[in-house]
Amino acid sequence: MTGTIIENLSGRKLAVLVSFLLLCQVACFLIGGLVAPMPANAQNILGTVCRDTATEKNDTSTWFYNRGKGACKTVDLGDFNQLFTEHDIVFAFQMPVPRESMTLDYSRWQQNLIGVLQVDIRYHSQMEVKPRSIITVDARLAYRNKGDPDDAWKLYTQSVEKRHLDCDIDIKTEEYLYNCSAIPLFELGSLYHDYYLLNVRLPVDAPGMNANIGHIQDMWLTVINQNGGFTKVWVSLKTVFFPCIVAIIVWFWNRVHMLERKPVLLEKMLLSLGIALCLLNMPLEYLTLQFDLPFMLLLGDIRQGVFYATLFSFWLVFAGEHMLIQDTTAQSSLKQYWRHLSAVAMGCISLFIFDMCERGVQLRNPFYSIWVTDLGTNLALTFIVLAGISTCIYFLFLCYMVWKVFVNISHKRATLPTMCSVRRLHYEGIIYRFKFLMLATLLCAALTVIGFILGQVAEGQWKWDENIELEYTSAFFTGVYGMWNVYIFALLVLYAPSHKRWPAAENTSDSQNLSEEIEFSPLPSETASEISSLTSFIRKTNVD
Amino acid sequence: MELFYKVLYPLLLFVNAAMGNWWNMAVSESAGTLNNSIESAPPLRRDSCQRLTFLVDRQKQLCQLSDHIVQVIQSGAEQALEECQHQFRHSRWNCSTVSNSTDIFGGVLKFKSRESAFVHALSSAALAHSVARACSRGELNECSCDGRVRKRTPRHWQWGGCSEDIRYGEMFSRDFVDSKEDKNSDEGLMNLHNNEAGRRAVRSRMQRVCKCHGMSGSCSVRVCWRRLPQLRLVGDALATRYEGASHVKVVDRKRGKNIRKLRPLHLDMKKPNKTDLVYLEDSPDYCEPNDELGILGTRGRTCNRTSIGLDGCRLLCCGRGYQTRIRDHEEKCRCHFVWCCKVHCDVCRSKRDHHVCN
Repeated sequence: MTGTIIENLSGRKLAVLVSFLLLCQVACFLIGGLVAPMPANAQNILGTVCRDTATEKNDTSTWFYNRGKGACKTVDLGDFNQLFTEHDIVFAFQMPVPRESMTLDYSRWQQNLIGVLQVDIRYHSQMEVKPRSIITVDARLAYRNKGDPDDAWKLYTQSVEKRHLDCDIDIKTEEYLYNCSAIPLFELGSLYHDYYLLNVRLPVDAPGMNANIGHIQDMWLTVINQNGGFTKVWVSLKTVFFPCIVAIIVWFWNRVHMLERKPVLLEKMLLSLGIALCLLNMPLEYLTLQFDLPFMLLLGDIRQGVFYATLFSFWLVFAGEHMLIQDTTAQSSLKQYWRHLSAVAMGCISLFIFDMCERGVQLRNPFYSIWVTDLGTNLALTFIVLAGISTCIYFLFLCYMVWKVFVNISHKRATLPTMCSVRRLHYEGIIYRFKFLMLATLLCAALTVIGFILGQVAEGQWKWDENIELEYTSAFFTGVYGMWNVYIFALLVLYAPSHKRWPAAENTSDSQNLSEEIEFSPLPSETASEISSLTSFIRKTNVD
Repeated sequence: MELFYKVLYPLLLFVNAAMGNWWNMAVSESAGTLNNSIESAPPLRRDSCQRLTFLVDRQKQLCQLSDHIVQVIQSGAEQALEECQHQFRHSRWNCSTVSNSTDIFGGVLKFKSRESAFVHALSSAALAHSVARACSRGELNECSCDGRVRKRTPRHWQWGGCSEDIRYGEMFSRDFVDSKEDKNSDEGLMNLHNNEAGRRAVRSRMQRVCKCHGMSGSCSVRVCWRRLPQLRLVGDALATRYEGASHVKVVDRKRGKNIRKLRPLHLDMKKPNKTDLVYLEDSPDYCEPNDELGILGTRGRTCNRTSIGLDGCRLLCCGRGYQTRIRDHEEKCRCHFVWCCKVHCDVCRSKRDHHVCN
């Protein structure tokens, strides 16, 4: 006789719940917009050109830096007639750069560090940079911690990497600079140490190596790290959401187990959705404050991937379970949906492989990039295109299924006038609330997409008022994050089995009792069935 | 002439004393005694700031912050001079410097002319540029970090990062360059406007670059920053502004407070906005040499016979005509460039016509 809570909840209670959840949602948005800073910070560092006077160049214990004791001798690259060779040139980037007469250091709250290299190449008519020439970079990354002496740099990682140099120039005149695209250089998944130092050399060991890169005048490194404030706000949100979702899962599963029947597929899907969200919510970032965990970027990707996969599967199953044309006897299982879910699986697997190839390898070599070699580019593109195709197929399929559900519902609705008034009101309520939830899903998805597009179009700061400066990007992230949490929370609450039992006398009550205050009663004739009363309604009307 | 000059000199010195400007640092070794060598100036140190008489008190104060800042200011001045000479290489006044005056440009900029507008804008832009570069290099400890997010709650950079370096560059340039100008004089008003226009030219030429670093490197999370432009591009932009500079007059508006504003000379002209250059007086004649003003004249300048522009012989020689000489021309050609620091070039010789103004 049990339905789900959404079917048995009165309009007023539903309104209270929905408005409470909406308040949570708005709060999330405002926390991101008013408290948190921008999600990430980029700092431009101009390379200091150092001169390496040592004869042995492969020594990784000597480091070149421009600040502190033992700073290097600088040279000017604008001057051609100097007596040194390419082996002597080292571009040094010491990060972070000092500000306000203080030596800054990285905090572990800043989570990750991404380095992007930009080269200023001067135009010379006699040595033009060929399109798509290759630049070979010998990059060495070192770290130092607070309290260490100025010269105590320790090797973090070292690699010789090739990158494509995409340069063009509008005014082909001497002394103008090429317009070169940024070169992604490294990605560190953990920002464990206080100071970092990057030494870049451009070796010419083999003939043709670095031959067509023109006259490099300056080298800029842009280091991107997550803002500490953003991490703090984000982790706080997670810390709040995590126990809430865990509690609601426990409550939900408890209710399911109190029934005499076994959990149905939809309930299992809801449980796994909750668990996937828990996985995403788990504030693992606290561990990075204590330990060096370079795999956090990869883990973050995987956690998000698992969540999306579960959410997408849930929608499919949700639509499928309300398809209204099922075999009444068969207990539906996930196996029935293998065709539908294969798109999700394929998309996720290809993205996972791509991620392992890029960020997975970066665990071993932070300078690695899959996009450098032609083979790697093709491979990466293949996986991304596969994932894209899967997503398209998935969404087409989902739209088709949802459309079918609505067709079936409106079809069944035509038979409603023939029913007695109690039953009609009851069914209308169910359909209304089913549609309400579908609408909520669509709204959430649409809001995410619109928010994302708005963020892309109107990049920068949004000023709604002179005094209130809303940090839109952060607000978007926390807002969307909060929204999906609220959405799944609502699903878990509203789709939990209802335990309301009604006395047999209820059968005789007339439609006057069915006011707003009195909750919808399930149909007396369906006492034997323990499945969701919506599906039972459909099966019933089939009999009708 | 010699005698005349000697008589005039003390007077000239007095007039110029008030005119010396910070861009003298481009050539000066120490202020009081202007060195005759125009070529590379040795790096200044902070203790020499007091001796730079062309600086006003606030400028001396800023100059004394550190050894680095002196060198940054100096390199800003050098770059401004170099850029000015590049942009004006075809003009009658080619941003030439003189050594026997307290101002490196002589008295040319005594006029509130277009050229003065350009030099002011360019120098304040070059200083902002040079300071911003030094900040990016990590040479200047003083660079500010005003959290660009919210000023009500100042936080550490670990919370919300720092503002762009150009912001401090502009701030410093405003503080340093503008401190000399008097808001109540016509000249001061004009210079302040042009200084600001110069700084805006840097900002508006900045190029935005973005990097995606979301899930699996997708663009769900994106961060953008702006690159400092090459000073040459700023110079080009200002040269365009120089050509379209507005001739203005100072208007007193005596409604309540005494607000002095710059308005176009002719009513039918467009009101200059903050990025436009403005001038109050027409330029002097740069054709004939004028020792008093430090104008070298165009005699002996090389001109282009076929050009109808300013560098054409007709305009550059001010109608005095020109001489054509055939000269051996040496040029580097067929260069091979070896990273990083070597160029192997052949020398190609050719005979070319060389036109020189009378």
